[in-house]
This record gives sequence, structure tokens and C-alpha cells, in this order.
Amino acid sequence: MAEAEEICDQFIKNLTAYELDPSKEIFDELYRLMHSLKGSAYLFSFKNLGDKAHHLESYLEGFRHQSNGPSQSEIGKLFSDFKVIEIELQSLHPNFKPTGRPEVHSIAQNVSQEHQSSPEPTSINIVDKSKQSQDETNSSIRVSVNLLDNLMTLMGEMVLVRNQVIQLSNRSEDAHLQSLSKKLNVVTSEIQNEMMKTRLQPIGTVINKFQRVVRDLAQDLGKGIQLQIQGADTELDKSLLEAIKDPLTHIVRNSCDHGIESPQDRISAGKPRDGHITIRAYHEGGQVVIEVGDDGKGLHKERLISKAIEKGIISRGDQDKLSESDVFNLIFAPGFSTAQQVTNVSGRGVGMDVVRTNIEKIGGTIDLQSRTGHGTTIKLKIPLTLAIIPALIVQCGSEHFAIPQSKLEELVRVEQTNEENRVEILHGSPVFKLRGQILPLVDLSKVLKRNSNTNYDRGVINIAVVKSEETSFGIVFDAIQDTADIVVKPLNRLLKSLQIYSGATILGDGSVILILDILGVSKVARIGMNRNDYTNHDDKEDKLLADIQDYLLVGLASPTKHAFILNSVFRLEEFNTDQIEQCGNLSLVRYRDATLPIIDLNLILFGEKSKFDQLKTLVIVVRKKDKLYGLMVDTIVDTLSTDVEMETQPIKQKGLFGSLNLPDELIALIDPFEIINLAYPDQIQEPVNKPEVAQLQAVHRENVFVNNESKRILLAEDTVFFRKAIKNVLEKAGYQVITANDGHQALEIMIKEYKSISLLVSDIEMPKMNGFQLAEHLKNNPQLNLIPRMAISSRADSGFLKKGLESGFDMYLEKLNQDVLLNAVEKLMHLKREAA
Amino acid sequence: MSAVVTNKATHIVITFYVGDYCFAIEVNKVQEVTGISEVYPVPLASAFVLGLINLRGQIATALSLREFFKHKDNVVNIHPMSVVCRIDGGLISMVVDRVGDVIEVQESLFEKTPETIELEIQKYIKGIYKTNNGFLSLLDIEVIAKELSPHGDSSSVIAS
Repeated sequence: MAEAEEICDQFIKNLTAYELDPSKEIFDELYRLMHSLKGSAYLFSFKNLGDKAHHLESYLEGFRHQSNGPSQSEIGKLFSDFKVIEIELQSLHPNFKPTGRPEVHSIAQNVSQEHQSSPEPTSINIVDKSKQSQDETNSSIRVSVNLLDNLMTLMGEMVLVRNQVIQLSNRSEDAHLQSLSKKLNVVTSEIQNEMMKTRLQPIGTVINKFQRVVRDLAQDLGKGIQLQIQGADTELDKSLLEAIKDPLTHIVRNSCDHGIESPQDRISAGKPRDGHITIRAYHEGGQVVIEVGDDGKGLHKERLISKAIEKGIISRGDQDKLSESDVFNLIFAPGFSTAQQVTNVSGRGVGMDVVRTNIEKIGGTIDLQSRTGHGTTIKLKIPLTLAIIPALIVQCGSEHFAIPQSKLEELVRVEQTNEENRVEILHGSPVFKLRGQILPLVDLSKVLKRNSNTNYDRGVINIAVVKSEETSFGIVFDAIQDTADIVVKPLNRLLKSLQIYSGATILGDGSVILILDILGVSKVARIGMNRNDYTNHDDKEDKLLADIQDYLLVGLASPTKHAFILNSVFRLEEFNTDQIEQCGNLSLVRYRDATLPIIDLNLILFGEKSKFDQLKTLVIVVRKKDKLYGLMVDTIVDTLSTDVEMETQPIKQKGLFGSLNLPDELIALIDPFEIINLAYPDQIQEPVNKPEVAQLQAVHRENVFVNNESKRILLAEDTVFFRKAIKNVLEKAGYQVITANDGHQALEIMIKEYKSISLLVSDIEMPKMNGFQLAEHLKNNPQLNLIPRMAISSRADSGFLKKGLESGFDMYLEKLNQDVLLNAVEKLMHLKREAA
Repeated sequence: MSAVVTNKATHIVITFYVGDYCFAIEVNKVQEVTGISEVYPVPLASAFVLGLINLRGQIATALSLREFFKHKDNVVNIHPMSVVCRIDGGLISMVVDRVGDVIEVQESLFEKTPETIELEIQKYIKGIYKTNNGFLSLLDIEVIAKELSPHGDSSSVIAS
């Protein structure tokens, strides 16, 4: 069977060679191959196959006695006849040997070596290839892959024993033992090297088949295409060969279909009629490089960009930032296909992104270069073998893990005592500034949910900077153990589906360690997800989870940008400047059947009046209590989504909450409610209480820190910003704070943990269950009713206040004045309600 | 030992214990029975995956049958045994409390698993043999194999 396949391979090769160079020798070879195929087929009683081979043989024999051989069209017939035989052969396949064929065989290798396009024989030989000659038929034998695999495993065992012997001999004084163990060491290493080679196979077994593929395609497409193969004897691990087969086929088919132009186009472009595709394979720096180049029309940059914009892969603004290679690499993006129409050759939904994924899966890289009008070259870099990879072995807790060196960019050791450049915690996640760039860090013990916690306060942090797809990130681990060449052993599918491991290996001491899949780690840690994740997540939900707050950036008469919390903005309006009327000290605009007081932000924040020198005035409308206010700004810059936490200023600025320290700039956060209070001091809302609350005396502030240790406050607030801000204020005063994102969640927490909660602070307007409903629920439960309740809301008009107290809140506060809040909290802590 | 005479109506099974229950598995499905040296845990894996073990240079995935059959009694077994099977080309080591004998069971004593048994447990059992010494639950290794190869394979997403 395997023999038959080899014969077929050679037949095709010779036939192609013959097409280019119709010499008598090659033709005789064709005849001989078909003859031996017939013989073997009958020998193993594959009658159908034998009959067909016989038929073809007779057909060939007819030409053998003619002087001028078959014509082009007759060669075409030979190809198609031969296809029938191949199909026949494939149909026999599953019954006989479903998993690949033996690697070593002994067919006479008499290929016409002098012809440039006929590649090396398609076989694996244990003997040295260069010495191989036609008459060396007996120097190789067939060995089954299973046997080789078993030998590999035993080899691994032997290496382990060797390591132990060496350790023993190092401790021993016995010179004889030492010299013996040295010998053992050398011999074992050599055997290991040789064993590894047995798995290698020349790449020709895969790429020689393309002769046929290209020929058939060219005919289908009505194009003239010549395929040249160089370096078919370059050797590659068998499993890798299998893995690159489909991606390579796809690339070659693409070149034929999209790359090479039709003969007419080529002639009018001044090129030779027939297109050329070259496949070159060679070793380079421990990797195998495969280049597939064509001299076709090349990629059209503008069309790529417009296509990418159309498909939403890049935004219109991005297009200028892309370098040339960025543009070409767009074709690897998911969901991209430039084929105008789907042909049966390519464009069947399997795009180049799949090619890239498959190549990267086996640790390879893919790169594309193109010159419009001159052709395209795709370069694949494939590791020599999957079975053995160099790796860094790191320790995390009590366990060890291997990181493939191919993914490793560098190792960084950070002294946490160094004040200037240390790992810092940004919103709960560690980050590190590496040469001015923020490097996201993944704490291995956290990702793997181990108990050990990295101590960021002092000591040394080890970071392995790794690259996955386009993103670099750092993996934080406890210690470096070793570097080693490891033999990758597959994991079962269940463990593979965890995504985080690519395999396991056995170390020299016999211990088993897991190999980290860097791409998987980044997925689990959600790095680079924003860019690559095109699925429609519930955006809002995600933002809640990620604690991301939206801000509206505005420009004022200050170099610093200012921002509003987007949730507090009611509307954005643009008024003609002449619409603004002056009424005493007030600026007013008629707005929605009422007047909208306009507040000049520049005046309040910086003490200088804005010039009304433009036709239009931009106003941000904010609702406070039941009234609307307009805050005048110079420009509206942008919106911003970030999880950067607000920092309060050491000295409280009037009208500002604090600042957002973004990596590249500092943004001042406007407190619109305080601004309104500053502009209209008489409108300040005092907290509203129930009568019994009013009688309570606030404890003096100095005692706060002593007493509050055991006080837990449940905070229900849907807006991320306020949730964080209020939590901050309360925690600074020494309270413990647990938070809920909505009323429903708050109720659940209450029911579960009511014994440990001393106070509820709740927003009014929340999704799922609002503050009023929450309070009603609590009021009607005898146990939960014991806990004091405070409402805190920006909606503090009289209707809301009344309803708040009715629904069972003990106190109703307006957002967000720290001192008022803390006073109120302390007061309420002392509220003792009699159990009903 | 003399050769075991088999006829169509009997099967040879290897027995083992998890908790107080006796389980069986067809002997031709078992590669070997060994003691366990060291188990290397796999973080994030399902609870029934104890970890990986080095079986003479090959890596086997160790599964806790205790976990499969919900024995939560936290008994620390100092001498667990491993029943090694080859599933889908990979090695699976089923960690059990104790290994019993290899016995011949009569086909006629086989019965379906009673339906009252909890579904989560029932699905791992092919059926019950009634022997003189009590019940023998015949393990369905194929179902366990299925448990090990979740559909969707690599594309399945981890909820983190």
C-alpha cells in the first residue's frame, strides 16, 4: 500500500518533469513505475487498481515505440487517467492502514536527478542522504511509526536513568564509575540525537504533491502556471508536516487563484504568459522556512484597506497609522477575504486567518510581502520539531511549569525596593513600566488559582515577558528553575480544553510538569481580548464586570482636560450664543418650556469669565433635584472608558471630585453638583431624616477609627464611579464596605449576611430593583428591618425625598458630600430599632 | 494458575473498591494495575482530575473515582491504587481505594442499573452483577472517556 503511494508520488513527479522535458529516460521511468504498481496491486489482490494500472501501462506502451512520444494533450489525458488510479488507491486506504504509512521504504530511487524541478526522493532514510545513490536499494528498511514512537519513549526513560547515574557518580569517589558514567552520558546523548532524526521527513512528501494541485488548478482557471520547488529535501518532523499540509495547500491555491493573472492580463502587463509559483524550503536558525512566492499581480493596498474598513476590522481613522506590512497582514485578520466572488478554488469561507491560526498553533510564524504588480511572497517559519522544544522552567508556589522559549521575549527581575521602577498595583492588577511602555502582568498563581500570593510590597518580582499574537505581556512567577530541552507529551482533550496548557513533559528527575500555552494564558487572563474578540458580548454587563466607567472629556480655559462622569450628564446641548439671556447675575436659556440656568464653569473653577465670542455655546445639561442646569464648556473633546481609579486630591478643590491619572495625562474630574451648589448656594439640600434619627447625636469624629473596625456597610450603587468613590470615603473612615451593583444583588447579600451588616447605603435609581423597592423589602422583613437604611441619590427633589422616607429609608442624602455622608453614617450607626 | 475456561456466558472482570462499593471493569480494557508514586496536580482542571502521573516515561491522567461517585467522606487513603486504561490513545489512571480479584462473572447475573440511583452516578455504570458477595457495579469506561473529551474541544471557552 505504502509502496503504491510512493509509486504514485514518483509517477506524478516524473510526468511533470516529462511535460517540461520530454526525454526518453523519464518516459521509460514512467512506464516502469506503472508496471511495478500493476505488479504490486495484483500481488495484494487489489484487482481494480491492478486493472487500471494495466490499462495505463498499455497506453504508455503505445508511445514507447513511437519516436516522438505523447503530445501535450495526451499528457493531459495521462494526468486524468492517473487521477483515477489515485482515487482507487485512496478508497483502499482505510481498510488497510488508516494512520499514515511506514516511514522507511526501499523503492529504487532512480529519479532523473539532473532535472531542476524534480525533487529529492520522497522517503525517509536512516542512512545518510547524501550518499544515497540509485543502486543503494538495500540500505534502508521499513519501520512502523509505532515502533519509532516506542523507541522514543524508551529513549526518554534511558535519559532519565542516565541523569540519575550521573548524579550518583558525581557524589562518588570511584574513578571508574565516573569515567563510565561520562561514556554513558556521551553515548546516550548521541542516541538521543539520532533517534530524533528518525522522525524527520523531507518536506518534499508534502510539497511535491503541489505539482499536481497547481497543474489541475491552472487548467481549471485557464491560466498558465509553472511551479518550481526548491529544497524539497529539507527535513521536518512528521507531525509538523501533517500540520502544515492544509495551510500550505491553501496558500498555493490562493496564489493560483488570486495571485497569478490570466494570460491576457499578463501579456498586457508585459509579463511572460505563464505565471511562476516558487516554493522554497530551507533551514534557517533552527527553523525551517518555507516561502511561497508568485510573480502575479500582488496585493492591492487600497483595496485591502477599504475592505478592512468595510468589514469593520479597522476603523477609518486607523488607516493612516498602518505600516505597509500592517496593511498586508490585514488579510490574516478573521473575517477577511478579498476575493470578489467565491470561486470553487478559494474564498470558501476558510480565510487566511485559519492559515495563520494553524501555523501559530504549531509554534510557527507567517509573514507576507507583496509588491503591487510584481507578486506576493508568503514566508512560513516552522520549528524543526514539535517533539522537543527548548523551554524555561519556572516555579509558582510548589509547582513547576514550562514556558516555551519561542514565546519568550525576555526575563525581567524587578527589585521592589527600587522606588522608581517597580511593579505597581493598578486597580487590583499588577502592572510594570518596561522601557516607558506599560506591560500588563499576569500573576501565574492567580490565573491558576493557587493559594500562594505574590508579595508586591518587597522582595524581587520575576517577570517573563512573552508574546502572544500581537500583544506582549508579563507572566509573574516565583522563581526560575532551569532551562531545558523538553519532550512535549500530549495531554488528553479534557485538559487541553482548559486552553492554558499545551502539553506536559517529564523532567530529568522523573517529575511531570505542565507546559503553558501562552496564547491560552492570555485568553484566560483576558489579555488582548478587546482587539480580537469580535463576538457580541453584552457591552454593559462587561463594563460592570470590568469596573469600567465612561467619562465625557471637555475642554475648558485650562491646559488640563476636564471630565464629567457620563452617567451624570443629562443631555448635551448647543445654543446660539445670542439665545443666552442675562437676567440680573443669571445667565438663562429658554429650554423645554422652562428656563435653564447657565453656569460658567470657567468662572467657578478658575475665577475668570468665559468670553462669549463664538456663535455657538456648548452646554452640558445636568439634573439636580428636579431642576436642570446647564454647565458651559469650551469644547467637547471625546468620551473615555477606563478602569483607572479616581484619586482624591490632598487639598480638596472646589467643584472637583479629584483626578484620573491616565498613563499619558492627568484629567480633572468635575463634580457638577458641587458646581451647582457653588453657583446657587441657597439651593443646597440638607439631609432629610426621620424624626427619631434627628434626635441622635453624632459621635465626635476623633473616635471614628477606634470604633469602626467591626462595622460593615453594604453599599448598593449601580454607577461604577460613585460606587468606588463612596466606598473610598467610607473605607477611609475605617468602615468595612461590601458593594452591590443593583438593588436585587443588595437584597441577596442582606439575606445572606444580615448578621454582619450594620448599615445599608443605597442609591435610588438602579437596574433590576430600585432603592424604594429595596427599602420596602427590608422594612417588611423582621430581621432585615433591624438594619438602618440610608438613601443617597442625585435625585433629591421633594417627591423623591418623601417617597424615600415612606418606603422605609431612615435618611435621605444628596450625592455627594463627604462630610455630610460620614456624619450621617455615624448617626445612623446608633439607630436601634425595636424588633417589630 | 490454570487457564480460565470461558464460554459465551461469562466475562472476566477485575474488581476494585471505592468506599464500600465494589466496582468491576472488563479485564481486557485494563492495561495494568499499579501503585501510585507521585501525582502532579493540574491547576484549573475539573475536581475529578487528580493530576498527572509518570508511568514509566508516559504521562497518564489520574482521575479520582471517589469524585466520580461522590464519596465526600474525606478519608485519606495512604495506599491508593491505580487502574490504568488506554482511552483514545491516551493513558487514564483511575485512582481507587483498593484493588480486588480478577473474577469470572456470569452473564446471566447481569442487570441494568436500578433507575433510582442518582443519575449523575448512574451514567458511569453499565450495569450491576449480582454475585455471592454482593453487588458489582460494572464501570462504563466509554462514558468516562466521553467526559474526558468535551465537545467543542479547543474552541470551548473558559469562564474565568
